[in-house]
Amino acid sequence: MAKITVIDDDDVLLRMVGMMLERGGHQPTLISQPAQAMKSLKDSRPDIVVLDVMMPGVSGHDLCRQIRATPELADLPVLILTARSQEVDRTAALKSGATDYMSKPVTSQELLERVGRLLVEKPAASRVGQIVSLVGFRGGAGRTTLAVNLAGLLRRQRQAEVCLVDLSTNGGQAALHLRLATRPNWADLPAAASLDWATVEKALVSHPSGLRLLAAPAGLHPPDRPAADLVTTLLKLLKDSFGFVLVDLPPVLNPAAQAALAASDVVIQVVAPEVISVQNVVQSGRAVAKGAASARHLIVLNHCFANEPLPLATVERALNGRVDVSVGYDANQTRALAQGVPLSLTAAESPLPTDLGRLAENL
Amino acid sequence: MATPPVVRNKVSIDLFTDAYRVTGTAVIGAGGIHSELGNPASDFLELQDAYISRIQDPGDIVASYTQVAFRKENINFIVLQNRRDGIPTSTQHVRSVFLRGRPVPVFLTVPSFEIRGEILYEGKPKPRDVIVQAIGRFLPIFVAKASASLYPDISYSGDLILVHKDRIGILCFADV
Repeated sequence: MAKITVIDDDDVLLRMVGMMLERGGHQPTLISQPAQAMKSLKDSRPDIVVLDVMMPGVSGHDLCRQIRATPELADLPVLILTARSQEVDRTAALKSGATDYMSKPVTSQELLERVGRLLVEKPAASRVGQIVSLVGFRGGAGRTTLAVNLAGLLRRQRQAEVCLVDLSTNGGQAALHLRLATRPNWADLPAAASLDWATVEKALVSHPSGLRLLAAPAGLHPPDRPAADLVTTLLKLLKDSFGFVLVDLPPVLNPAAQAALAASDVVIQVVAPEVISVQNVVQSGRAVAKGAASARHLIVLNHCFANEPLPLATVERALNGRVDVSVGYDANQTRALAQGVPLSLTAAESPLPTDLGRLAENL
Repeated sequence: MATPPVVRNKVSIDLFTDAYRVTGTAVIGAGGIHSELGNPASDFLELQDAYISRIQDPGDIVASYTQVAFRKENINFIVLQNRRDGIPTSTQHVRSVFLRGRPVPVFLTVPSFEIRGEILYEGKPKPRDVIVQAIGRFLPIFVAKASASLYPDISYSGDLILVHKDRIGILCFADV
């Protein structure tokens, strides 16, 4: 039996959903005044919230954002249940931070199945402090796409506290993938000696999903930025506060990349199925392994384009090792990038998040 | 003999003007929303509990009101998830006039949107004939999808889309 708070301004629908949940063995709390919702949620700390979108005064999306911005409620699974049934509505719900979405009318069986799934997915607690670095010295292999989507998956599926760090010195693209501002960014951080959690937190940009980003500054910066000691201190502070810290490394083995590798618990090397990318991983493999000697190493084969020449077996033969996860080509990725909405947050059935799910399970 | 009471149902609809999407509840009779739109006694269609979004940001609600009225001539189209809510459906003995004919793929434009779907038509469709012969102000497009012209990733699907005939810019049929 789970404690489930249902928020809907329509009394009839509210009672109906309440009855469905009761018959499913749950303990529903019904709230018809959305203005009272936040106080009730803080007081009762339910296991799940079922939330209508169209309510007078405050929309379900606004409430969801408030829930995500409240530290004690930030991990609460939110199921949006709305009469707005279009794909754009699903996207809007997930962008506001909802865990899942259903359109009305809904049957008792559908509702109970979905609630059951959310209860199973809800973690007892996120695993604490894993630094996962994504490496790819060949541009265009989709390293940032994988980093952003993996961060989204960990946030959405595991309800984990996730911070994505873009260490690029040439503009960085993680903010673009998430349609977030590039200010503040790592260039705004003080020297390592002055760095504390309060300063780091101010430099993080929040995504509506609850994901946090330390963006790269726009424009070109010297390859020796940020300083290695700053990266070491920064990652230690982030590791203490987040379940997962995903680091999108620059495509050069600069001091910042070396510091990040040394701090990593997991290193994911991204390779595209084409000769130069494979050759690049072969040549850089030893340096990466040496730089992150204590880390677990994974190789991801990312099909960035529809037609690519090298089959999996050829790539594995060239690497003299196994590819841990192969991510299929996803035609939706171009649209996702243009919209600034990662597929892992909006289109869970799409090939890219589906394949990346196996990688997320591996972490 | 007493007249049987008129049954009125509430249905949820998505209604589109040039720049706005409005989701709300309409009260309809047996003739569906098409009948309300064709009612000559009123130039307005009324919705209850309406939530308004801009077309380019359709998930964000910018305003909500319990009572909203629309001039019928300014409605571009209405998206319905169930054709029964839109048009009179067949009875045990009579097939609805709206559901006669064979499906013909159609593409049409209204301000800000392009719409793909099917019309049901008997004989070889000619655009002028389809427009003239269709009953009422609104043309039913079945299994339809409306995409925003300037934001093609924003689209709305429905079992039925009722399109204001006077707002149609381009109307095309596939050969069948």
